[in-house]
Amino acid sequence: MGIPPEVQNVANQRIVEVLVSKLRRRQVVGSRQTAIETVLVLRQVVSKARFSNIEQLIHIIKAVGRRLVQAQPKEHTVGNTVRKVLHHVREEYQAVSRAGPSTQTAKSSFSISKFVSQGQPRKQNLTAPKSDTRSTSLRENDPNDPDSFAKGLKPVLMEAIQDVLDELETVYDNVSKSAKDHIHSDEIILTIGHSKTVESFLKAAAHYRNYIVIVAETAPSFGGHEMACSLSSAGISSFLVPDSSIYALMSRVNKCILGAHAILANGGMFAITGSLLAVSAAQAHSTPVVVCAGQFKLTPLWNLYHDYGALDFADPSSVLGFEEGSLVDKVDVINPYFDYVGPELIDVYITNDGDHPPSSVYRLIKESYDDDDHEL
Amino acid sequence: MTKAERREQQERQRAAKAEKAAQNSGKNPPKSANKPSQSSGAGAPALTRRGSRAADFPPKGAQGQSKDAKAGADDKGAHTRGLRIFSHFGLPKPTSHKGEIHPAIVRLGLQFSEFKITGANARCIATLTAFKTVIQDYVTPPNNTLSRHLMTYLSPQISYLVAARPMSVTMGNAIRQLKLDISGTDIDLPEQDAKDALCEKIDTYIRDRIIAADQVIEETAGNKIKDGDAILTYARSSVVEKVLLAAHADGRQFTVTVVDSRPMLEGKKLLQVLSSAGIQCTYLLLPAVGSVITETSMVLVGAHSLHSNGAVFSRAGTALVAMMAKQHSVPVVVCCETYKFSETVQLDSFTRNELAPVELFKSFPQNRPQDLSSLNDQPNLQILNPLYDLTPPSSITAVVTEVGVIPPSSISSIPLALGRTML
Repeated sequence: MGIPPEVQNVANQRIVEVLVSKLRRRQVVGSRQTAIETVLVLRQVVSKARFSNIEQLIHIIKAVGRRLVQAQPKEHTVGNTVRKVLHHVREEYQAVSRAGPSTQTAKSSFSISKFVSQGQPRKQNLTAPKSDTRSTSLRENDPNDPDSFAKGLKPVLMEAIQDVLDELETVYDNVSKSAKDHIHSDEIILTIGHSKTVESFLKAAAHYRNYIVIVAETAPSFGGHEMACSLSSAGISSFLVPDSSIYALMSRVNKCILGAHAILANGGMFAITGSLLAVSAAQAHSTPVVVCAGQFKLTPLWNLYHDYGALDFADPSSVLGFEEGSLVDKVDVINPYFDYVGPELIDVYITNDGDHPPSSVYRLIKESYDDDDHEL
Repeated sequence: MTKAERREQQERQRAAKAEKAAQNSGKNPPKSANKPSQSSGAGAPALTRRGSRAADFPPKGAQGQSKDAKAGADDKGAHTRGLRIFSHFGLPKPTSHKGEIHPAIVRLGLQFSEFKITGANARCIATLTAFKTVIQDYVTPPNNTLSRHLMTYLSPQISYLVAARPMSVTMGNAIRQLKLDISGTDIDLPEQDAKDALCEKIDTYIRDRIIAADQVIEETAGNKIKDGDAILTYARSSVVEKVLLAAHADGRQFTVTVVDSRPMLEGKKLLQVLSSAGIQCTYLLLPAVGSVITETSMVLVGAHSLHSNGAVFSRAGTALVAMMAKQHSVPVVVCCETYKFSETVQLDSFTRNELAPVELFKSFPQNRPQDLSSLNDQPNLQILNPLYDLTPPSSITAVVTEVGVIPPSSISSIPLALGRTML
């Protein structure tokens, strides 16, 4: 199966390049923002792509995905979004090709063998319809009209990608849907940093409940300041405290609600620096820890670097400014972006698709992505 | 009872009366002030209850002008949002002159309230030194004896200091000892001799209980540092600083990680001292401590006070560091003189704590010109800066005192070991 030369070049397209450099310069930050940008690029790429069979298309998407992931490996949502798009593309392809003569025996009979086969990688299903040359309207590798396959498939592909985009755009609303079931009146909630998901979650709960939020300011980014301002202007009585008082206040906190940067396959997560501290303090006081995150943060990765969260470091000048002239060249300054929080410290993930315990994250990942795509 | 005290009491009674009147007349307005814009069925009953309760306890947040905490109830309308559980955290009240306050005490009070002198040891030494001046300038009035009258003269001075900033346990212990010494003064002793004897006793206390104790701790804790160790410390403790410098002067090779946090950012001072002494230092803020704790061989922290259940009351954040260290099986060693012992038992950081004034601590790095005043104006937002937290005995490995290295479970035996009169 020959891959046309333009497939190789597709990853170097201008639009891809633009996002690559933005990611590299950290001009696009925040997991949702990067995810949305990635979908937009992929939509462009797919709409322009020329391919005559599904392998070529997947190859194109993967090539673009690889470029983007390499540009900023710590923005895990980029890879996740590519995987999600690939998953949808495969599903659409299957649906289209299955719509042909051999409508598979989709009887809704429950049996052990079916249950087992659901756990299997999707590959078998994928290869099966390809082997028989079908007489559907879609024909792969048509020598007369190589673009016919692309033309036939693209409308559904666009729809599939739009689904991914829609999911990203409604993620805050969907996460916040169950907010009032998690927060009761007069509760004291502790949160750290400025997670947009948590912000909308708390604001949604404020429509129904009257409660108090304690926001730790989360040095050195001090995202807590914005968070506290935003929550208080929404009518929630808020307390802004320095990070040092988390332990002192934890004995009166009913619930610890945090955001995540990426949810890992073992149920742990990468989250803003300070999360580990807050979560450990919560555990020491048997306070439940709730993590609000969209499912686009599910990442089929394992944390291999337990020591330094995601092994990603921010600008040390926000910890020890250059005004401390004599100190700067003598002292090592550490300012990691993320903490790794293990699954045993988290009680529940509230996602845009229901609440899940950390132990079932692996299953969500299996449902969301194809096993083939874990390595882009 | 002096004239000043009587006047103070009268004023207090008057304030209480005024408050009662204000409560009866103005119980309803604060309820509506407390209610947020969205009115919900579920939260309403609890909310109104809280509103009326909050009216009884004025929040300590922004108001600093009100003379007395109780008098603050008059302007409750604007501030009822304060959470009641924080209402007892004392903010330094503006000092008001009652009776004759010695200039040395006035100056000291100002240094306390502006956080120019901080730290349990420094405050205790400064207080005792100021009292020495006060005692030397004191003249026993006719028909009185020094041993009886001096204490009544000292008590308004003490309350002046307490008004400037809540008293530390160390100051309390030292003052108790001083009172004991004063009451034990021989009546027949000439006045100047008696004053000299008292000053000498104060000097002895400072020397024995603080300075000599620090030297012993320096040596004992220094011996626990081995070549190649990575020591982690939080904020700045004078004892820990001495221990590290002494161990370095001893020729031991170790690195120090200084963990720091707002609001006070005291660790920067420690960092300056250590790095200019030539110790290899790493500096980070508290949230990042989880990343480095695994590479640490020992955590060395100071204390504000020790409690008889083995808990250590210390700078806010110490409990977090100790907890992380405990979770990663890193020994947590607290350096603490025995005169910081307090016989009370504290269960959490809530029953007794102190709030740092917000205006004093705008210690943000320069590249982030954050103005806290913009946060102060927010209607539903309050800024809390608790100064201390309580480290439970379970996350402490050992306490180094001048009487030896003891586990937290044995802290209660300190007063017995020293003979009770000492404390």
